[in-house]
Amino acid sequence: MTVGATTRGLPIEINGLSKHFGPVVAVDDLSFAVEPGRVTGFLGPNGSGKTTTLRMLLGLVHPSAGTATIAGQRYQDLANPTSSVGAVLEATSFHPARRARTHLRMAARAGGHDEKRADEVLGLVGLTGDAKRKIGGFSMGMRQRLELATALIGDPDVLILDEPSNGLDPQGIAWLRDFMRYLAGEGRTVLVSSHLLSEMAQTIDNAVIVSFGQLKAQGTLDQITAGISGMVMRARTPEADRLAGVLTGAGIAFRRLTHEEVAMDGVTPEQVGPLLASNQIVLYELAQEGGDLESVFLSLTAGLGFGDVAAAAATPNPNPATPPSASPTTPPPPPSS
Amino acid sequence: MINALRAELLKMRTMPGVWVTFGLALPLTILGILIVLASAGGFPGHAFYYVSSLSQRRRLLGAGFFGIEVLAPILGVLCITSEYRQKTITTSLVLVPVRSRVLLAKVIATALWSIFIALLGLVAIAAVALPWNAALGGVTSQVTDQVGAVIPGLLASAVLLGLFGLGFGTLVKNQVAAILLTIGGTLILEGILIALSKAILHYDLNWLPNGAGAALAGDIARGFGGGGGGGGGNGPNAFHLLTWWQGGLVLLAWGVGPLILGYFTTFRRDVT
Repeated sequence: MTVGATTRGLPIEINGLSKHFGPVVAVDDLSFAVEPGRVTGFLGPNGSGKTTTLRMLLGLVHPSAGTATIAGQRYQDLANPTSSVGAVLEATSFHPARRARTHLRMAARAGGHDEKRADEVLGLVGLTGDAKRKIGGFSMGMRQRLELATALIGDPDVLILDEPSNGLDPQGIAWLRDFMRYLAGEGRTVLVSSHLLSEMAQTIDNAVIVSFGQLKAQGTLDQITAGISGMVMRARTPEADRLAGVLTGAGIAFRRLTHEEVAMDGVTPEQVGPLLASNQIVLYELAQEGGDLESVFLSLTAGLGFGDVAAAAATPNPNPATPPSASPTTPPPPPSS
Repeated sequence: MINALRAELLKMRTMPGVWVTFGLALPLTILGILIVLASAGGFPGHAFYYVSSLSQRRRLLGAGFFGIEVLAPILGVLCITSEYRQKTITTSLVLVPVRSRVLLAKVIATALWSIFIALLGLVAIAAVALPWNAALGGVTSQVTDQVGAVIPGLLASAVLLGLFGLGFGTLVKNQVAAILLTIGGTLILEGILIALSKAILHYDLNWLPNGAGAALAGDIARGFGGGGGGGGGNGPNAFHLLTWWQGGLVLLAWGVGPLILGYFTTFRRDVT
């Protein structure tokens, strides 16, 4: 893929964004940027503020503080919002009595687009044969694809997708992955939230990791995993309590995973091995956790440790890394419905 | 704005509930015609009689008001509450992110569909009421010469009662609750309050939505207050409606008030 092959993508900027629902802080002073021409994963555990952030970006939720802009403007201030941004938020936003084509005609009308576009996007997502069916009879996967078709109605420069693979079968997920890469390959900005980390690892170029509404890391996938790799040690021991005391004394951050498992953050085997030996701690297992996205995600979202690493990873990347796979230059054939 | 309006019109056209209201417009109008012709007086043994007095002629022409007062508020309620019930409000506000524009489009769409319901009622008047009245011995031209006095007000009532439903739907959001509030409120509660007010306070509670609508629709579109009908009569039991322009202003307040309140409260809230 040639990054930014065209100039059609628009940057997304989140600056100091916060949202309080009464005493609950859903998003806490969140700042990050999303580049055009790349697929950016927006990752975080359930309740970490991902959906709230995306809804603030789309003007559905009012921020308590901060700004969320697309090309420097709030979504609601864009001249042609649906030509600039397409969003997949929830697969339940349909009137069940409405037919798929009618729903898309309505979306085309609302955005000021040619209603013929409805048939085009139905074809893009593989729902041409279901155009006249009522949405109430659609499966969750079909609704997801219809939601994606709705997002594409204005041929937008930015795609915002909130858990788009929910309800999709493996074939549909693979298609969605190729489709997102194709869209990014055209220079569009693609921001996708998901909890399917293994799936995301194969799809995204950049990642933004949040937990408890706060930014934990931002950068390319390579940068984030390289920053963490080799720095998590997991020990299994019958003396977990004593190990905790030793680690506390040595100033090493750690987390109790189970009653006999301890994860040690920011240390190497060369550092922790002699320490455990000198304290004569019985070990059943001592392993270095891999630097894949899932382990990084789990480390960063556990709420303990990695303060320095997270800050380092949060630094904008001056040299974009190679994406996980080359982007297709034509849209992938849609899966059968 | 035009784009948002076109989308709203298509939404309403593809909503089953809207077609149910249309389906009810004709039978409710015919029911209104039956009531007018049955209460027109006549010889013993005759269930129906032709209309003759000015009040009766206007009531026959405005018999569609019975359907309008029920169905127009429901249309307004459906227009907004279906968005929340089916969760389509998210898509609607992503497609048209300026909320005032969405609500204004709904106002115009509700107004147009309410007029359509009123026109359906007028079709029933032309197809059923006038021939029937003529068959009973009435003079058709004596009824049709009241068109100018009744129809514009009837259409305006339809629009404002539709907005009344839209406003309550915007405030309440729950579809069932909003329908119960608007229809139950205007058909049942309003009647009870009027009767209580008259009986206890000797006061004509004529500024509630349907009373205001009846006044706007030619002050006799609906029979208020016993045998005297409409605003006529000077007896102690006569019910005096507002003048047409007072009724129009009051109904405008009932239509726009909840709408403005709903916009600045619920409609601008976060969509989570």
